[in-house]
Amino acid sequence: MENIIEYLKEERAQDWRNELRKGMKAKERTSRIRVSMPEEDPDVRNKSRIEVNIGLAAENAVLEAQRCIDCPDPTCITGCPVGINIPKFIKKIEAEDFAGAAVTLKETNALPAVCGRVCPQEKQCELNCFYTVKLKKTPVAIGHLERFAADWERNSGQMAVPKTEKLNNIKVAVIGSGPAGLAAAGDLAKFGYDVTVFEALHEIGGVLKYGIPEFRLPNELVDTEIEIMRQMGIKFKTNFIVGKTASFDDLKKDGFQAFFVGSGAGLPRFMNIPGENYNGIFSSNEYLTRVNLMNAADPEYDTPVISGNSVAVIGGGNTAMDSVRTAKRLGAKDSMIIYRRSEAEMPARIEEVKHAKEEGIIFMNLHSPLEYYADENGRVNRMKVQKMELGTPDSSGRRRPVPIEGSEFMVDVDTVVVSVGVSPNPLIPKALANLKVTDWGTIVVDKDSMQSSIPEVFAGGDIVRGGATVILAMGDGRTAAAGMHKYIQEKIKAN
Amino acid sequence: MADLNTKYLGLTLRNPIVIGSSGLTNSVKDIVTLEQKGAGAVVLKSIFEEQILLEADWRMKKAEEDGLLYTEYSETLDYIDVHIKEKELTSYLDLIREAKSKVMIPVIASVNAISSLEWISFAKQIEEAGADALELNIFVMPFGFDKTCTDNEQTYYNIVKKVKSIVNIPVSVKISPYFSNLGNVIMKLEENGADGVVLFNRFASPDIDINKLRVTSADVLSTPPEMANTLRWVAIMANRVNMNLAASTGVHDGEAVIKQLLAGATIAQVTSAIYKNGPEYISKIVNFLSDWMDDKGFNYVDQFRGRLSQASTENAEVYERMQFMRYFSEIK
Repeated sequence: MENIIEYLKEERAQDWRNELRKGMKAKERTSRIRVSMPEEDPDVRNKSRIEVNIGLAAENAVLEAQRCIDCPDPTCITGCPVGINIPKFIKKIEAEDFAGAAVTLKETNALPAVCGRVCPQEKQCELNCFYTVKLKKTPVAIGHLERFAADWERNSGQMAVPKTEKLNNIKVAVIGSGPAGLAAAGDLAKFGYDVTVFEALHEIGGVLKYGIPEFRLPNELVDTEIEIMRQMGIKFKTNFIVGKTASFDDLKKDGFQAFFVGSGAGLPRFMNIPGENYNGIFSSNEYLTRVNLMNAADPEYDTPVISGNSVAVIGGGNTAMDSVRTAKRLGAKDSMIIYRRSEAEMPARIEEVKHAKEEGIIFMNLHSPLEYYADENGRVNRMKVQKMELGTPDSSGRRRPVPIEGSEFMVDVDTVVVSVGVSPNPLIPKALANLKVTDWGTIVVDKDSMQSSIPEVFAGGDIVRGGATVILAMGDGRTAAAGMHKYIQEKIKAN
Repeated sequence: MADLNTKYLGLTLRNPIVIGSSGLTNSVKDIVTLEQKGAGAVVLKSIFEEQILLEADWRMKKAEEDGLLYTEYSETLDYIDVHIKEKELTSYLDLIREAKSKVMIPVIASVNAISSLEWISFAKQIEEAGADALELNIFVMPFGFDKTCTDNEQTYYNIVKKVKSIVNIPVSVKISPYFSNLGNVIMKLEENGADGVVLFNRFASPDIDINKLRVTSADVLSTPPEMANTLRWVAIMANRVNMNLAASTGVHDGEAVIKQLLAGATIAQVTSAIYKNGPEYISKIVNFLSDWMDDKGFNYVDQFRGRLSQASTENAEVYERMQFMRYFSEIK
């Protein structure tokens, strides 16, 4: 930690940073108003896959970067799970060295274009910004600037391939190609390992591809990042289920010395209410995967999802928002959220709720489904919902939803998406008898190394956290890569 | 030797000793033991919404304390109570299925139906899992000051009517004695389809530790004197309803069982006594009943059931006497 503080001090003391600080008074910087992220017209975007946020223009990015006062104690970094040198990359933008800003981001973050779009900065770096903590003002738009630098690099056509150590021919396996797996693979490749990423689905990217819709995170952007990883020497094997296609023992026989498990939390949960098995009722995982990964929005494809006229999405989290906004884009006339608490208790990001409202999503807060009904073909056509009121707070301080007796009524629906959470993927824990798991089904790991109860198996992301942000998963992947490196090197020394 | 066979809720029991809903009936292993020791039937432990909410709270707290589990934007934790409920209900259905495959005696499921209608729909799954009957444990907390007692009572009838409309297995209702007109409520429960009524629910009670100056919980187990109120109402209602009456609370030995049967109970639910004395105690109760019947020359339980109910006895007024004036006035 002391080393990091010293490093940050040294970086801050560099001439170019001193010059920038002198160039504008702190008072002038703090008197500026935060720039807004330009957005596509809601009535246009809700009919297509185009990205909602357009991204900052260069001049606005520089203006926003000038708001950062380059604190001597950059508390924003403490809020970042991968420890990005935030003041440095922002000051690079202020100095209009956009390529340098991108390089700074990639020192610790393999996917800055992704994180700039989907990270909850308001709960992480921006929550710890000097503006938020001390000035009680809107923080520097760190997320917008991160996205700007990453996009600029990609659009420049000069994407840097991170440097890697000389290949040491030690084979390591990464199971799952989501953010945790990609971050682990990137760092392991940098250490010089022969990295193979095994992905159960036919596309690389995990939740970045199947879970997050294109209007928030274009697939093309994920593919670009993956291409860079290929150029780093990382191999990807799709349609490969570790534990089924090949066992851990098979892979060990093939020479793999250590494993990183980032298999995610892909097991959907339901509410166990009558009629939940009718046709037309999906888990959000299935619904989003079909649309995002299997072209289900195209009726010409083998497994289309029916574009419901009236789609109800149960839940109030980010996945629920992704599902309901996807339904709108597939042509639903009424695309509605049915959430049992009020908006104040919603776990979804404020920005996602705002975007959803702009796009015409109907919010039925303080309502909960009781039962589903179907037509003669077993297709859902109505649901009974019950009004709720908020009772006493639970241990987290949020008020409990309490049903209002006699308030039930029927709603016509032809598609229902249940988005009430997920469980960790059970495949790997089932494949490894000695692997310790928690009551939640998550893998037990040492938090400093992400090493599991089986020494050569490390884990991170949703399979450890039950559900996490992209950046937290990436942080785990990086910690695990360091842990795996240490484990392998110590093993080599011992032999 | 006396024949103890008993018909309860249309089910044939080898004797009228039923182990009440409690921790004693929470595992298949324990249920098998209860059968081996002579129980006529078991009522499975009830699932309480309050219990699920407490567990949800506890799990939420543990998740927040855990350095690794993610809680900030978690949809999973947002619905943690629903997931716990689902898990509890699934394991409850498993308990029914497994118990049914391991024992011959009837297995009666129990649902605590205090609030939402979703618990009622669970009754259908209980039936499908193979439960022989369902005991609805209903208690509406009289906290809604804008509601009349008629409104509250109507909730009981609605629950019974609704459950009866969705299941084919017999349904009994376990109630508390706290109604302004208990007899009328029992009759209305029958009118609304109940096949039996269990008298009575026993609530957790507060106590005060005068040494430590703190509020504590009173003993969770019943005591024999608590049986008197059940005895009174079993006797009063025995000839006023056609449905079965189950006597519960304070039934601690064979003598108590016989008293309840004489008053008109179809069966007696025994719980606290088994907690205190172990499952072996069941056979003592059964043997006591059997010996008593032999002694009195009764071949069947129906020969003496209800013989001392209010309608059958000569001094029926005893069951209705609430005040002690005459008793005390006679004390010189």
